[in-house]
Amino acid sequence: MDWLEQELREALNRKDPAPDFAERVRWNLRVQEHRPAHGLQFWLATAAAFVIVAGAGGMGYRQHQGEVARQQVMQAFRIAGSNLNHIQAQVREVRR
Amino acid sequence: MTRLQRVLCIAPLAALLYGQQFKFHLEGLAAKASNAVDVSLGSGTLKFAARFLDSSDPDEAAVKKMINGLDGIYIKTFEFKRDGMWSESDLEDIRAQLRTPEWERIVGYKSTEEGENDEIWMRTENKKVSGVAIICSAPKRLTVVNIAGAVDLDALAELGGHFGVPALEKAPGKKAP
Amino acid sequence: MRAHQSMVFSLAYHFLHDRESAEEVAQEVFLSLHRNLGAIQSPAHAGFWLRKVTVQRAFDEGRRRKRRPQVALEDIVEPAASVERGDPLLGETLRRLVATLADAPRMVMILRYQEDLDPMEIAELLDMPVATVKSHLQRSLALLRGKLERRGLGER
Repeated sequence: MDWLEQELREALNRKDPAPDFAERVRWNLRVQEHRPAHGLQFWLATAAAFVIVAGAGGMGYRQHQGEVARQQVMQAFRIAGSNLNHIQAQVREVRR
Repeated sequence: MTRLQRVLCIAPLAALLYGQQFKFHLEGLAAKASNAVDVSLGSGTLKFAARFLDSSDPDEAAVKKMINGLDGIYIKTFEFKRDGMWSESDLEDIRAQLRTPEWERIVGYKSTEEGENDEIWMRTENKKVSGVAIICSAPKRLTVVNIAGAVDLDALAELGGHFGVPALEKAPGKKAP
Repeated sequence: MRAHQSMVFSLAYHFLHDRESAEEVAQEVFLSLHRNLGAIQSPAHAGFWLRKVTVQRAFDEGRRRKRRPQVALEDIVEPAASVERGDPLLGETLRRLVATLADAPRMVMILRYQEDLDPMEIAELLDMPVATVKSHLQRSLALLRGKLERRGLGER
């Protein structure tokens, strides 16, 4: 391989996307998977879910709150973790 | 039209920021951002959420372990359509708050070519870790994180390497994709 | 997993020479991977699949961008002279010159020098005769050499 090909290898080496790239893929996956159906069926299902939650004496609502908190905590740790991971990868690359 | 999901994440319980170790003062950037994430989770919310984490899931088990000893996690992250929508002066207020004896910058990475500037700051009290600040900036994105409490940085970075897609090994005899 | 991300993003980035477009292409590729996980037979197949889909999406995005007004390469501000890591000036010049190549030879060059694929592998990925791949490589290298020499950036 001559000097130009060597330089091309270095110039075209792999780059990382933004640190929260993976988190955004996961988010978009969740959106893709849980996109609600439209129309009467959706609204009937939503109304039924509300009745069930309201009728469960608060336990269902607590469960729902817990699930929301769980998702937010996981998202927070993933954002923090991926940014930290990104910085460490950049520093490792410089040290090589 | 952006295909990126706009995400606003706001703490479900009272927005108490007693655990937050420095003020972000980045509210002005939200209006300019194409995507913004805002997380404020105090110790009460973290402990509450921990009860609903699945110990059989490796990621959730790791987070459950990390939550012990944490006082809160606070994040603001922005994405912008164009360069020049935020500047270093937006971060000066944060950096001024970190220039105190309790805080020390332990990692700094800068690439002028890509306009990237990343920092990790650690807070110590009585020789023990009591908080971490992470600032990641590039021309079209900005993330500031404050984790208050006894943070396990290695575990946190390890978590950042999991992306929910099945791990794939190198195919024999070929350069790994 | 990080290697997959880097591979997909970099293929798109070096082809489109635009970080935002590259991230959007990469997002689409991973969402598509998730939808097609059942069809993936092995890790090696996954790597091949990711490269193939990324190449296709990058070509599609490139064609879409051609229909929109583009900033001329000459109008793009040159990178700052002072840098923190190594000497990226030649590297940046090469990336810009690669970006001026036509779609097919540009992708051939990226697959060769970013992914270290040989002409047979590139031909299979791009569904192109091996002779055409080799021709693209030879001509592109000759073109780049000529442009570098005219800028006074020869062999070091």
